Formats: sequence, structure tokens, C-alpha cells
Amino acid sequence: MDLVTLQNTLDNGAFAILFLAMLVYWGGMAFPKIPYLQAIGTTSMAIANLAIAALLGARWLEAGYFPLSNLYESLFFLTWGITAIHFIAEQRTGSRLVGIFTAPLAMGITAFAALSLPPEMRESAPLVPALKSNWLMMHVSVMMLSYATLMVGSLLAIAFLLVTRGKNIQLQGSSLGNGGYRLKTPTPPDSTPSNSPLSSVNASSTTATAVLTPPQTTPTLSPQRLTVAETLDNISYRIIGLGFPLLTIGIIAGAVWANEAWGSYWSWDPKETWALITWLVFAAYLHARITRGWQGRKPAILAATGFVVVWICYLGVNLLGKGLHSYGWFF
Amino acid sequence: MTTTEQTQSFNTTVKRGLRRFLRGLANLKLAIILLLAIAFFSISGTVLEQGQTVEFYQSNYPEHPALFGFLTWKVILALGLDHVYRTWWFLSLLVLFGSSLTACTFTRQLPTLKAARLWKYYSKPQQIEKLALSAELDTGSISSLTPLLEKRNYRVFNEGDKLYARKGIMGRIGPIVVHIGILVILAGAIWGALTGFLAQEVVPSGQTFQVQHILDSGPFASSQVPQDWSVKVNRFWIDYTSDGNIDQFYSDLSVIDEQGEERDRKTIHVNEPLRYDGVTFYQTNWGISAVKIQLNNSPIFRLPMAELETGTSTKFWGTWVPLKPDLSQGVSLLARDLQGTVLLYDGQGQPVGAVREGSSMKFGEIELKIVELVGSTGLQIKADPGVPIVYAGFALLMVGVVMSYVSHSQIWALQQGDNFYLGGKTNRAHLAFEKEIIATIDELRESKRQTPDSEQSLVLN
Repeated sequence: MDLVTLQNTLDNGAFAILFLAMLVYWGGMAFPKIPYLQAIGTTSMAIANLAIAALLGARWLEAGYFPLSNLYESLFFLTWGITAIHFIAEQRTGSRLVGIFTAPLAMGITAFAALSLPPEMRESAPLVPALKSNWLMMHVSVMMLSYATLMVGSLLAIAFLLVTRGKNIQLQGSSLGNGGYRLKTPTPPDSTPSNSPLSSVNASSTTATAVLTPPQTTPTLSPQRLTVAETLDNISYRIIGLGFPLLTIGIIAGAVWANEAWGSYWSWDPKETWALITWLVFAAYLHARITRGWQGRKPAILAATGFVVVWICYLGVNLLGKGLHSYGWFF
Repeated sequence: MTTTEQTQSFNTTVKRGLRRFLRGLANLKLAIILLLAIAFFSISGTVLEQGQTVEFYQSNYPEHPALFGFLTWKVILALGLDHVYRTWWFLSLLVLFGSSLTACTFTRQLPTLKAARLWKYYSKPQQIEKLALSAELDTGSISSLTPLLEKRNYRVFNEGDKLYARKGIMGRIGPIVVHIGILVILAGAIWGALTGFLAQEVVPSGQTFQVQHILDSGPFASSQVPQDWSVKVNRFWIDYTSDGNIDQFYSDLSVIDEQGEERDRKTIHVNEPLRYDGVTFYQTNWGISAVKIQLNNSPIFRLPMAELETGTSTKFWGTWVPLKPDLSQGVSLLARDLQGTVLLYDGQGQPVGAVREGSSMKFGEIELKIVELVGSTGLQIKADPGVPIVYAGFALLMVGVVMSYVSHSQIWALQQGDNFYLGGKTNRAHLAFEKEIIATIDELRESKRQTPDSEQSLVLN
């Protein structure tokens, strides 16, 4: 089998498997009692991740340079990043909530790349002179990983907003310096009354983590565990906290590259400016979390806005077709 | 006496006012508003075309009908929306942002770090009970807890029946480093704007030039502009891929001093500039400057070629060659790249053929030979003394953001009678910390079940 047919098989395969993963995660939300759904979902995501890695590897072999030269390749690299971050998030939370949001996102991106893009846009094109540099790999791959990470982080913030909608949430897991104290009115996680379709998931993920709860031999004083909402909030914060340094390093790598190649580390090119806007929005989010009285939904709304901003930065700017970053995209 | 008292009270008022001002400047809500305001105004510069002519804005943003009912060219020019990032209000926003960062570092971050370093033992169970992640155990001791915490990379302190352990104080230093990094970058950018310059030169292959066409320079930039040396373009050429696209363009440059001696030589291309004496030469553009022709046995003429206005992204260069001494007849030469083909058109604008470099075409008695197309290199020349400062800021910023990911975790334990109290808190990784605490408690229980501690059973008895 030659590399081109292999690539076609892999990209359609990745799409099919991610579609399956999405159905499995959503099925798990609707029918939490069915066993193995979580395992099937996780496995599907793993297979999709490996298929995309193989696809990108095949293209690297074929073209001879790091496969990030056009929209098709960058969309698959993004999906690879999202599935990779999905594992970190799922592992840390032990909750199947993560997949409900990441699987459709990954599926949607692969569907667009594998099915909607015209064939000529999928072929690997020779690099234009400006991109022939080792910095390409440094800058673009770190930027793409940061987009993937920030997308997953802000999706989880959206999940948090859905789970806590209509509630005045009081968070223990705030990053305020004086956080981490026992709440006056402790609310046990499984007693949260909720009629939302996600309530079944709440229950399922608490039973999933309940395994870790030590036998309550001392009823006098035991640790106050994080609720599902708090768990989602904290994992979203930690994932965004991981994406933020990546974004910073990616922007700086781009600035250093621009300075080495064109003599200017910052030129307010639309893509650059939007990367800065993204950085500012997430910086605002990180600061909102440590602002007294702003914990809970307010920072999460900022993070959710960040999801849109990342997409504008990644694709929207290229639709303008201006500046140095318009190579090999829609125009 | 009264005057000194008055001055003193005046001084305290000033100090109090200053402190209140600083605290206001360091306010987190102000910082968030500033971040979002900079983001918001940056968006305007990506949506509206920047740096165009007045006519452009007049034709694209007419007064009737005004875009969104208010956005006319007059509004755009009055607010400076045609050069957002250089307007006084955008720059003031950045200055305010820098001041807020500085104020925050001194009034918030450093005290927080100091507080984090000045820890104390908890000597009452109530202090530990206040922590969300706390437990009262009938098992465990300071001595059995210590190795468990050390295994998890905690720094453990203990005194009698009290224990304090911490890790990740780096996470408290990180944000301070980030703020300093941003301030250093802003300082470097200001320094560069004051002392740097930017120039562009279009130089035909084979010529020597001095930096003259300065587009932009700071008030203290004159010493940066090279006076005592010039640059020779030995050769300029383009490599094409097999399908005719540009692969890369190159300029072979020599630095020549006043005595005409070569000081440095380098072939530059995109992504590979020449640096000499703090000035950097970047390959940015190219063109066709002239064509060398020969008519019958004439000497070789060098005719300049001009770029033609095509209105599209396709570029053409052209010139005109007389074929009669009285200039009553001639052909136009057109070239679109340096691959060596020249298109010929007659007086009526009809194409008469294409000639390759080195070949010729007959027009009656006269044979026109195309000897060579001479390319010109487009160079961007720049000196920015602020770059080392900006790079230092970049380094600090990168180190700082990575450090800021680390969560600062603290654990207290207290042995009181036959009860063992254990509790902790962290500032970022609440979920991971919760797992860590639960696992530690489990291990404490486990160790009791497996090897009943003599000391423990003694206490229990």
C-alpha cells in the first residue's frame, strides 16, 4: 500500500473512530448503567490518536518536512493534540464527562478535514521560502499544541457552566491564596439536587471516584472532597494553566523567528495580534480566578469566551487572507 | 513647631494617598479590565485596514451610508483607528498596564511570597479542622508521616508533636518572574523605538550602496546608521523549483570599509540575514533592474527595466528598445521573472515572440540579442538595540509561566493524645492534591494494619 492510499484510509478511519467515540460517550451519558462504555470510549480515542499520528508520520515521510504546511495537516495536528489532552484530562478526573465534550470537537474537526476540504487542499505543497526554517517546527507545533490544550480547557469550562447553570456556586477549589478551607455548609457531592440531563453523569462519576474514598472509620473529621462542579472547574483551570505557558512559548518562538528572519519581533500582523488577544483573554481568566468574589461562574465565562477567541485566532484570521500567516490556507 | 507638624501631617497624607493610589493601581479588577481593554482595542486594528491612504478610507468608509451608523472615514482618522497600535490612547493603555504590573508586584506578589515563606506550625486541632482536606485519624504519627511526605517531594519540618511540610514554593515565585519579564519586554521595546532604525534598499546586482532610505528611526538612532562602511551586492539570483515556483532568493553581500577592503561576506536568503556592527540585512524582496542587450555588433547596452502597474499580484517589468537610429521603430521587452525568458511586443502591441537569455531575434536588418537580465535585491535593513533586552524579557517570561504552573502545597499535622490530625491546602492543583492527601491517609492506615506500630499501640492503649 502506498503512502497516499494509507493516508486516505487513516484520515477516514480517524473520522469514523472519533464518531464512534462520540456516540459511546453520549450513550454513556444517557445510560450510565451500561458497563464498559467508558473503556470503549477511551480506547476509541486512543486508536484515533494513533491513527492521526500515523497519518502525520506518513506525510512527514512523503514530503520530507514537518507536516504542518497546510490547513489539512494543521487540522489533523490539532485533533491529535485534542485527543492527547483528552487523555490527560480524563486520567486526572477519572470522569467520563470530558469525552462528552472533546469527542464531538475532535470528530467535527476531522470530519471537516477529511470530508469537506477539496482534494487539492489536502495535498502536501512545497513550502514557500519564508517557511523554510527549523523555527517552523518549533513555533507552529507549539502554537498548535497550545490551541488544542486551550480548546479542551475552555470546553471543560463550558461543561462546568452547563453543570452549574442556575446555581450560585461556591467553590472550594479556588486558586485564591486563602482557598482550601472547609465550607460552612458542606454539600456532599451526591446530594446535589438536579433535574438536568447531566445529573445521571454526576452520579456516575461520583461513584467512579467513590472507589478512592477511604472507609470512614473516623466519623469525627474526614476530608471534604471536591464536588463534580469543583472537579470540572479545577481540571479546566489546570488544562488552561498548561495551555497558557505553551501559548506564551509559541508566541515567543514566533517573535524570535520573525526577528531572525525579517528583523522585527512584533509587527501587529493580524495573526500575531489575535494570538496576543488570546493570551490576554486567558491571562484575564487566570487573574479573575484569584479575584475575591469572582470565583465560580465568572472566570468560567471568560474561559468559555476563550474557546471562540482561539478559533478566531486559528482560522478566522486566515479568512481575512492578510499578513504573513496566510500561506497555504484558503487562499 | 506647627509648621513641622503641618509638614509631617502633609507627608503622611501624601504617603497615605500614594499608598491608596498604588493599591488602586494594583487592583486585580483593574488589571483584568486592562487586559481585556488591550485585547478589545487590538481587535479593531485587525478588522480595520491599517496604514492606508486617506483616499482609501474615504472610498471604503463613506459618510453615507456610515458603517454600523457611525463608522465613517472621519471617525476612523479622528480616533487614529488607521494606526491603532501607535495612537496615544493605545500606548497610554500599555503604560497604564505596565504601571499596574509594577504596583501589583510590590503591593501584592512580594507580600504573598513573604507570607508563604513565613510558615508556622499548627498547635490546635481547630486550626487543622478549618482546612477542607483534613482528617482526624486513630492511627499515624509524625514519624510515620514524614517519610510518606518526603517520598512525595515535600520539604518536611517538625518540632515535637507538630509537623509542617511544603512543596512547590516555586509556584509563588513564577508569577513575579512573569510580571518582571513583561516589564523587561516593554522596556526593551521602548529602548528599541528610541534608538533603532528601519531602512529599505533596492539594489541591482553588482552595485555598492550605503544605507540611505530610512523609513523609520528613533530620536537617538543616528549613531546606529552605518557611516564608515558600505555594502556591495556581488550577485543576486533566484532558485526556481522544477514547476517554475520560487524556491529561494539569494544575495551575495560584502561589507566594504572606507579603504575599499572587504570586512565580511555572506550569502543571505530569507531566514538567513547578514549581521554587521549591530545592523542586520534581511532578504525581503526582489525585482528586475535592467536588461543587457546587443544590436548586431554594437557594444552591450544596459537598459533599465521598470515595474509595470498590473493591478494584480502578478509582476511584470518592461523596457523599450529602439531598432532605428531616429527611434521611429522599436520593440517592447517584458519579463516576469529571472528565469531568462523575455517577451517581445511590436509597436502595435502585438506579441512577436519570446527570446531566452543568450539568444537573439531578427527584425529585418537588425538582430536583437538578449545578453542578460539583471536582478535587483530588496533588502530590509534594521538596527534595534532593544532586542537583547526584549530577549531577556522573553526568557524571564517563559521561565516564569512554566514555574507558575506549579502548585504550592502545604500540609500540617498534629499529634494530640491518641488523636492524629492531618490537613493541607494548595493553591492550584486542588484535584491532584486531594488525591495526594487521600493516598497519604490510606497509606497511614495501611501501615498500621500491616505492621502495628509499637509506639502507636502504646498510645492507643
